[in-house]
Amino acid sequence: MTRKQRRLTLIGTAGVVLASAFGLILFALYDELVFFQSPTDIALTPLPSGQRIRLGGLVEEGSVVRSDNAEVSFRVTDMENTISVTYKGILPDLFREGQGVVTEGIVSPAGIFIADSVLAKHDENYIPKEVAEALKKQGHWQGGKAAAN
Amino acid sequence: MIVEFGHYALVLAFALSLVQSVVPLWGALARDDRLMAVAAPVSVTTFIMVLLSFAVLTNAYLTADFSVLNVLENSHSAKPLVYKFTGVWGNHEGSMLLWVLILVFFGALVGFFGGNLPKDLRAATLAVQGWISAGFILFLLATSNPFARVANPPLEGADLNPILQDIGLAIHPPLLYVGYVGFSITFSFAVAALILGRTDAAWARWVRPWTLLAWSFLTLGIAMGSYWAYYELGWGGWWFWDPVENASLMPWLAGTALLHSAIVMERREALKIWTILLAIFTFSLSLLGTFLVRSGVLTSVHAFATDPTRGVFILALLCFFIGGSLALYAWRAPALKQGGLFAPISREGALVLNNLFLTSACAAVFVGTLYPLFLDAVTGEKISVGAPFFNLTFGPLMVPLLIAVPFGPVLSWKRGDLLAASQRLYAAFGLAILMTVFTFWLWGMDMVLAPLGVGLAVWVMAGAVAEILTRVKILEIGPSRAFSRLIGLPGSAWGTSMAHFGVGVTVLGIVTASAFQEERIATVRPGDVVELSGYQLTFDGAAPRRGPNFTEEVGHFTIRQGGIFVAELDPSKRVYTARQMPTTEAAIHTTGFSQLYLSLGESRGDGAVDVRVYFKPLITLIWIGCVIMALGGAVSIADRRLRVGAPKPARKRKSAAPAPAE
Amino acid sequence: MVFWILIAVMTAAAALSVLVPMSRARRSQDGPSGNADEAVYRDQLSAIEAELKRGLIEPEAAGAARTEIARRLLNAHDNHEREAGRISQAPRLKFVQGLALFALPAVAVGLYLFFGAPDVPDAPLAARLQAPAEEQSVDILVARVERHLAENPEDGQGWVVIAPVYLSIGRAQDSARAYAQAIRLLGPRQDWLTDMGEAMVIANQGLVPAEARQAFEQAAAMDASAVKPRFFLAIALGQEGRKSEAIEAWRNLIAGADGTEAWLGAARNELAELAGADGQSDRTSQTLAPRGPSQEDVAASQDMSPVDRQAMIRSMVSGLAERLADEGGSVSEWGQLMQAYVVLGEMQSAENALEDAQAAFADKPEDLSSIKDAARQLGLTGS
Repeated sequence: MTRKQRRLTLIGTAGVVLASAFGLILFALYDELVFFQSPTDIALTPLPSGQRIRLGGLVEEGSVVRSDNAEVSFRVTDMENTISVTYKGILPDLFREGQGVVTEGIVSPAGIFIADSVLAKHDENYIPKEVAEALKKQGHWQGGKAAAN
Repeated sequence: MIVEFGHYALVLAFALSLVQSVVPLWGALARDDRLMAVAAPVSVTTFIMVLLSFAVLTNAYLTADFSVLNVLENSHSAKPLVYKFTGVWGNHEGSMLLWVLILVFFGALVGFFGGNLPKDLRAATLAVQGWISAGFILFLLATSNPFARVANPPLEGADLNPILQDIGLAIHPPLLYVGYVGFSITFSFAVAALILGRTDAAWARWVRPWTLLAWSFLTLGIAMGSYWAYYELGWGGWWFWDPVENASLMPWLAGTALLHSAIVMERREALKIWTILLAIFTFSLSLLGTFLVRSGVLTSVHAFATDPTRGVFILALLCFFIGGSLALYAWRAPALKQGGLFAPISREGALVLNNLFLTSACAAVFVGTLYPLFLDAVTGEKISVGAPFFNLTFGPLMVPLLIAVPFGPVLSWKRGDLLAASQRLYAAFGLAILMTVFTFWLWGMDMVLAPLGVGLAVWVMAGAVAEILTRVKILEIGPSRAFSRLIGLPGSAWGTSMAHFGVGVTVLGIVTASAFQEERIATVRPGDVVELSGYQLTFDGAAPRRGPNFTEEVGHFTIRQGGIFVAELDPSKRVYTARQMPTTEAAIHTTGFSQLYLSLGESRGDGAVDVRVYFKPLITLIWIGCVIMALGGAVSIADRRLRVGAPKPARKRKSAAPAPAE
Repeated sequence: MVFWILIAVMTAAAALSVLVPMSRARRSQDGPSGNADEAVYRDQLSAIEAELKRGLIEPEAAGAARTEIARRLLNAHDNHEREAGRISQAPRLKFVQGLALFALPAVAVGLYLFFGAPDVPDAPLAARLQAPAEEQSVDILVARVERHLAENPEDGQGWVVIAPVYLSIGRAQDSARAYAQAIRLLGPRQDWLTDMGEAMVIANQGLVPAEARQAFEQAAAMDASAVKPRFFLAIALGQEGRKSEAIEAWRNLIAGADGTEAWLGAARNELAELAGADGQSDRTSQTLAPRGPSQEDVAASQDMSPVDRQAMIRSMVSGLAERLADEGGSVSEWGQLMQAYVVLGEMQSAENALEDAQAAFADKPEDLSSIKDAARQLGLTGS
């Protein structure tokens, strides 16, 4: 191989690797992005079935029902609309009625949100930022102080 | 008075950093020995001053001096002694002081052990290090002063967040910081090289021990953080692709690439420009990590606006150091002479491939971590980039890299012979195939990727062993003579093999723990038995218990295997009384390299509780592999050859490294 | 002074770390980069030889590598030759010496004076708790006793000491608990029982709770001549609406008095109110008790910062002052107002309150005298 050929081979390989990495990132971004939605968003624009989303809102007071085998169902509300959620698993330590929650999963054809993860952070006063903003949009947010904490 | 003494020491350290950042550089540019001679002593004095102020702050914590605002806000007189001590860096101000302490400690190390470096390079490197220290000490003094005082202090402090009252989390930050901040030295070396216009093979050799040191500690720090999350958060996961984790992974990936490209530069004087750029990038990513974690941007883009001083200050530092170094790079790099040539199939070629994949993976993590922040800031749209994104991008980029790992060390420099190299790896390849087939036979055909993953891990491990064995020509000269040759191998060869072997071990742990993990979620009442992976877990009941500063509900489980008693496990749900904060304490039983992981959920009132049980085969290999990698780094630092014209006794340096944690 | 001397020493040490190496450094013969890189290349060469000897690399590869390294070695050597001729040593020493001697201390001390607080003393907790008692605030003394009691919870005398202090700094509930501990450890005494009951009453916004009543009854049983428990029992009867029993209790109390006691006015007042309230039996017990802040207000104040709490106390005091000015009130309410002003350190307002109270009770000599008694106890002059 001549010097030029060597150089071309190297640059060619680098180009192929970088291009495929770039393509992979774009493809993954397109495919695996999960959008955050509030119950109102879901009520207004029905999602294609099987579309993964993050659902955020407040856990409605008195809506948590536990059944055996660690299954739990509750309703998530943003004070305008409400959606039922089912989840099988251990709820995070800070999961409480009346508090903010973010869940990830899909909406079933029956309109029930089937969550495969329920999130909470290590902070006592934590209201997920998405939830806080969604609630603000609905005009139900008074806890300006809590958000600053 | 003692407190103010520490405060003054910090201010004095700032003034000294200013001297350090101006005088030696001036000396290096003007070729004035007298000015360059200032660099090393001043770097040591600066370190002593910061150490003094850190000791004073620690003393304030130990004596519960609530006239120091930082102590008042983060400590409590009744806190156990060890957490009073580790609480020093359990908060923003204290941890930034620790950060600065490690920063000037590395400066002092170069000053102290850098006697064999060229005077001008040492002076310029320490000057650049001086800029960084000056910037961050000013950040401390102006926006996060740990010595702010309270005139009429109350009698009790606000206590430390209970989740931080854990010994794992107490040692995790110092390790991680030694890693993060250690890369400041490579950065300073790179900028100094650009200023002085001297980038040659010798430069790469001088930088290598520092890169290795920082890289080893960063590896340990990341592993420690991962293990902490695994047992403390109670979710059974060991990596969450959380932005904070990614912030530490990015400099690790870039640092690993740097480690490899510096070898090419040392041996062949090739990849010079690229290596310098990587050195700049690695520390920039460390700074970015500090910025992301410290500015509050991660919890919310808007938290940044709530308390902008700190964030804006760090952002300004970030722009200055990253922007400045890249501008310098753009200006000086074209003037650098290009080095040796090599064929695509060669040791150099393999290392270039390594760099391509590592930097691409780093870019993928970068995009996944920052894109949501970017989108939120620009359009206000909320998205999350979770594990699926990273699995889809990071995974495929790692696979070809891992396949290539064993080839690298067996290829010759300049012009390699792929066929000859493959011959040396026949045994390793055969073993990998064998293990793949064995896994298929064990688990059936329904999982295709997992056995291939196991095969890949075995390939990397066996390749590392094969490399050492072919080096001593064990087949040709027989085991007894090979042994003496084995001992005579240079430390860097051992280090390479160990680190590569560690990578294989970690990969094996990751593959088996994620693919063959078994999980059961159940609601149990006293007397109920949960079956999992051949274990029978009998729930004997739950009882309340009181700890020193928490109350907990403890579930008691008896574990049997085929009716034979194995262990008792007591997972619990705790509430820390001072802050009314609930936490989950998982119970873990280790058998061999595998673990049985139990965490408790809600209790149902009638004696029934939710419980989540995992069996995670070979999971401990994930962290053991990281420890092996870090050990490989340590062995490599100990290589005699690195001492020539480089910081002298590697042994001393290593024993001195944990000093900031004391 | 010691502080500033130490600071001067530190600064001097810092300046010396700049000055000494500078004066020590000699003009070296070789260039500024020395021959460190040559050493590296020589070592690389010898490493190649070693590898070749051990058969780790092929002879031709070793040869190529040797040529390459030798070229680097030559380059480095040439560079040093060139550098060696270009060493300049302009007189910049003076400038840097000036920097170390003047700019360094100026920057350090200047910044320190800007950020630091040299006059704030250290305050380690242990030392604060051990300082002589007369130099300390009540809070610290209380904390000291509390710490002692946390370690020796069985020390009855300690509880006896702290109980009245709690009451005087407004921690009535803690006071009651401390008395209870003292009684548990040292056995019941009439005065402790009574004071415990009183603390409970204060903690309960002036209403006599059942436990307090039991305490008073026990105290009265232990010493029939004690007035205070009987006084509170009478109040309790009134609050429970057992009017005739209450009236009788007050009458008995007053009958046993010799006319000089401080409580007499209050007792007569209560009696008068009970007797005069015959026609208005719908008067609730609440109005008999002094109107304090509600339980919620007090609970809320526990969560507040000291400044907020001060503000809340202030607003409650001004509320009380307004109410007394508009509607008038009982002797004890006026006493409360005066005391509140004294606690807040507003002596002038307290004096004003005393004047207003005297004006309000000008036509009731008994009330007037008890107002004056209260004022004397608070250290008001009444001028």
